[in-house]
Amino acid sequence: MAFRRTAPRLPRRRTPVVMIVSVVLLGFVGFCAAAWEVVVPHALDQDIYLGVVGGGVEGHPFGTDQLGRDILQLSLAGARSALVGPIVVAVGSMVIGVLLGMVAGYRGGIVDMLAGRYADLLLALPAVLLAIVVAGMVGRGYWVTVGVLIVLFSPSDVRLVRGAVIEQMPRPYIESARVLGIRPSRIMFRHIAPNIVPIVVANLLLNVAFALVALSSLSYLGLGVPPGAPDWGRQLADGRELLGDNPLAAVIPGILIIVTATAVNLLGDWLSETLDRRAVAA
Amino acid sequence: MNRPVLAFALRRLGATLLLLLALSLLVFALMYLSPGDVARNMLGTRNVTPEALAEIRARYHLDEPFLTQYWLWVSQAVTGDFGTSIRTGGPVGPLMLSRTGITAATAGLAFLLSALVGIPVGIVAAVRRGRPLDRLLVGVSVVGVSAPGFAVGLLLLYVFALGLGWFPIYGTGDGFLDGLWHLVLPAVALALGLGAFVVKLTRAAVVRELDQDYVTFARGRGLPESAVLRIVLRNAAIPIVTSLGLMVAYLFGGTVLIEVTFALPGLGALMEESVLFKDVPVVQALTLVVAFVVSVTALVVDLSYLLIDPRVRARTVRTRAVRG
Amino acid sequence: MTAPTRTGMLVASDLRVVSDAGPIVTGLDLAVSPGETVAIVGESGSGKSMTVKALLGLLPPGVRASGRLELAGGAGDLVVDLADPGTSWKRVRGSRIALLLQDPFTSLSPVHRCGEQIAWGIPRPGGRTARAGDRHGTREHVTRLLGEVGLPADVAGKYPFQLSGGMRQRVALAAALAAGPDLLIADEPTTALDVTTQHEVLELVAGLQRGRDMGLILITHDLRLARSRADRVLVMYAGRLVEEGTAAEVLGDPAHPYTARLAACDPPLTHRLAVLPTIPGSVPAPSSVVAECAFAARCEFAIPACRTAEPPLIEVAPADPALAEATGGRRTACLRSEVVRTIEHVGESAAEPAAAGIPAEAAASPLLTVRGLTKRFHGSAVPALDGVDLEVTAGESVAVVGESGSGKTTLARCVVGLERPDAGDVDFHAGSGARGAALARRVQIVFQDPYSALNPGLTVGTCLAEALAAAGRPKSEVAGLLTLVGLPEGYARRRPRALSGGERQRVAIARALAPRPELLVCDESVSALDVSVQAQVLNLLSDLRRELGLTMLFITHDLAVARQIADRVYVMRGGRVVESGPVDDVLGAPEHEYTRRLLASIPQ
Repeated sequence: MAFRRTAPRLPRRRTPVVMIVSVVLLGFVGFCAAAWEVVVPHALDQDIYLGVVGGGVEGHPFGTDQLGRDILQLSLAGARSALVGPIVVAVGSMVIGVLLGMVAGYRGGIVDMLAGRYADLLLALPAVLLAIVVAGMVGRGYWVTVGVLIVLFSPSDVRLVRGAVIEQMPRPYIESARVLGIRPSRIMFRHIAPNIVPIVVANLLLNVAFALVALSSLSYLGLGVPPGAPDWGRQLADGRELLGDNPLAAVIPGILIIVTATAVNLLGDWLSETLDRRAVAA
Repeated sequence: MNRPVLAFALRRLGATLLLLLALSLLVFALMYLSPGDVARNMLGTRNVTPEALAEIRARYHLDEPFLTQYWLWVSQAVTGDFGTSIRTGGPVGPLMLSRTGITAATAGLAFLLSALVGIPVGIVAAVRRGRPLDRLLVGVSVVGVSAPGFAVGLLLLYVFALGLGWFPIYGTGDGFLDGLWHLVLPAVALALGLGAFVVKLTRAAVVRELDQDYVTFARGRGLPESAVLRIVLRNAAIPIVTSLGLMVAYLFGGTVLIEVTFALPGLGALMEESVLFKDVPVVQALTLVVAFVVSVTALVVDLSYLLIDPRVRARTVRTRAVRG
Repeated sequence: MTAPTRTGMLVASDLRVVSDAGPIVTGLDLAVSPGETVAIVGESGSGKSMTVKALLGLLPPGVRASGRLELAGGAGDLVVDLADPGTSWKRVRGSRIALLLQDPFTSLSPVHRCGEQIAWGIPRPGGRTARAGDRHGTREHVTRLLGEVGLPADVAGKYPFQLSGGMRQRVALAAALAAGPDLLIADEPTTALDVTTQHEVLELVAGLQRGRDMGLILITHDLRLARSRADRVLVMYAGRLVEEGTAAEVLGDPAHPYTARLAACDPPLTHRLAVLPTIPGSVPAPSSVVAECAFAARCEFAIPACRTAEPPLIEVAPADPALAEATGGRRTACLRSEVVRTIEHVGESAAEPAAAGIPAEAAASPLLTVRGLTKRFHGSAVPALDGVDLEVTAGESVAVVGESGSGKTTLARCVVGLERPDAGDVDFHAGSGARGAALARRVQIVFQDPYSALNPGLTVGTCLAEALAAAGRPKSEVAGLLTLVGLPEGYARRRPRALSGGERQRVAIARALAPRPELLVCDESVSALDVSVQAQVLNLLSDLRRELGLTMLFITHDLAVARQIADRVYVMRGGRVVESGPVDDVLGAPEHEYTRRLLASIPQ
């Protein structure tokens, strides 16, 4: 018999220019986050006598803040708290989401019920507001805030994963595996988990962007990094007082937050679309 | 209203009350467990004597067991008595009331702006799916979703207030028109992220409906595109209304940052001040009020499905197709 | 030699459809006269649905058409250039051509009342602005249309979800006819319906067509349906028209080997064949066929000339010359049509009636006994299973037939342990009560949809090895399993997406056989396959049964399939067994009124 391969061919799409730009930009931000001490070793140097100056001054293209710190260098150093925290938040909440969501979706019953109520409870309040309250009351500090955000981000991840698992459960290949007597743990990790990877990865990126916005919001309110530490939200809070003297002190970190979050969001959207197309073609 | 519909409404109402009860317990527990001695906090810079501490503890029932304290608090809260602010020494209820107007105006304006702009833009993007206009609108909405309100607020202040001088920098203004004028920038800053969110959800909902068979069928029997779009929008109304409900929750998070940025004396700013001061009664009260508004919104959204979606109306009598 | 234009109300010439990935339809002429029914027949991937979408300008984004469409009718003549993106389809859709889709569950808007949906299509006398004025007239019109499709007036106030599938399809039909089209295009209009409902809807369409002198284009994969309903038939294969002529001629005396083979593959309802005729291989993508006959690779008559150029569509003499004048062109795209036509009913040489085959030695011991099985799903008003008794003897093949809602699938799921019955027993070997892993070795299942049967992330080899491991068998048996289901051993390295539907279903069967089960449950396992592939899989199942002494429980809605595969048959309706017995008795001389109705509904 002549069997034909009928693999559906994906029309190869060119990676859009916007994505390349986003990746390059995030690469640069990531590099600063990893090693700002090397890139801008004098970022935290203060010059009290100079104080705040506007942009265009020799050696300070974007001017300085009230402590005489160079805005450009300080902004590059701020990349670390802008990336590390959000990534930890996104990964942390997704780990909770995957563990709880998979068990809830696969087992159903009481575990599912409890996970559902937990999600309902935390989703009934706006995450950012709750983060403000908890971080403000429990204690201030970057990692406390990160921890609070992990907890607050997790319910939507639990729901996401649970939904994806439940969608998989009635598929014939899962039911066949059950009838074959394959162990539940194996079904979960071998058959279900790989098929929810795309949705998890795409959502991870969207969460990084959202966490970046949330974390810098909290820093802006003084609930994130300690005073004096390089952080875009903090810089914005400081810059708010300097709008008259050096508006760039607020404008530059503001643009950095928007651009970085946009790049991560674009990447997440693009990835989820691409993975979707693959899944359809499979 | 027939019986199953009423039953559905009552069941949802019951669930909402239960949720509120759980939330109030959570909020209270959070404050109860937060580090620091509340009594000591209340005394502030005054002389901290053991007698003074004891008196405070007795007055605020701080020595009672947790559940008793919770009961005292929640039973007074439902009558509108949220206790006394540590920071101002005045009652919390009137304090909140005095700050509500400005927040309601800003949030209302932002809600209207984002809905009135976001929904049409989302529809246009969906109809023009894949074309340059769609890409542009989607691109802008991604930026909007990514931009925190306070960053946008500061940029707006820089450009429109400081640079161009079209709008005032801070404050609330006098009279209705001046007040409105002062609220334009804050509302826009708040509405941008919100509107972008609405655009994304509306576009996704309309795109999903446009792919349905009934659209092909409607076109196949010669209905004009305007009529097809009307049918599609009626079907897409459910996710869009849901997104409007979610916006209300989102608004409360954003309003804190916006009010701080524009120095508006609203509930958001009150929240920020109280959190920084660890003014527990005020924070508790504010959180509870937000939880209440958000839950009631969710309830209203759920009940509105009864009006929009005949299937929900029928499903209240829960029937499920038998497997073949 | 031109396309027949005599009284064509619709004449499409040189219709082509192209997507970014390549051609979908490669040039086709089509003409329909008033009152005529033209069936376009083909398997999946033949391009039949895209052809009619092109006629209405409803192609999905990224797919383009070209060609010329001429329409004649009461509203004057109209010529449409299909390649012109600026075409105003307003003049065509609804009033001249209307479209009826396959799935009545999705073709109506779920949140609008049926009456409203029908009314949308009614043309308003004073243009579009006169809306409020003639509301009463509109309501009357809707009631009249509902009456025409045999529905009471109060359906106008109902929502689609409140109606059955058949009623929804009637509402859709009323909506399609609202603007009084000259021509109706029905794209697999009854495929999603149960067989008894199918019959009613088709009768209805035929009646309306007569009453309105309306042309009808019927898109279908079902040859029997085409033969019983159409005046003329067009057979499409891989985006090409391979044969056309009157229904009786094309299907009774096929001139193209594909048509001949396809007709032979369709299992007969009246008797069992020892081996079903098949077409080897599967349908190629239209774009992969260049300068050759698209069917050459699967054709037993192919000569070298078939592989050097695409054969043109040429006129062939009708079997009965007297008919030539009346029916117009009988044409086929085959160089070997003379040879094809000399061989009487290709394939049926192998089609001797088989002896009804209960293996003699197995008659004694029952393997599966189901007693008083009852199951009601949460929130459902009626039980899915309502006291079902069933027995399967070792080595036997038993079919359970029924329409949707009969409970046949729930029965299958209870037997393999995927669903827990509320009451009743499922016993193997009369009472050993095996559960869990022990049960798994004794009963396995193959589902309907080949595309979700296999985990897309695992290779065929991994998938089979895992099934073997779960049963405590060595990995080395993978090659043997593949051979068993007629696949090359090299397929172990492939992923599901590189396999055709039929091949995936073979792998699913191999996986189910890995633990060497005694009972194989097939839940509609061939229903989603094209008829030529379905025949291959049915033959495979018969072979396996013979070679392995397998016992089979075959769930199907298709009585012809049951006829081919089963020794005994159970007929289910509403969660109960209404009739059971040897397949020849039940399908040959049905006793229950419902079984008789089922049989009568099948197009002959």
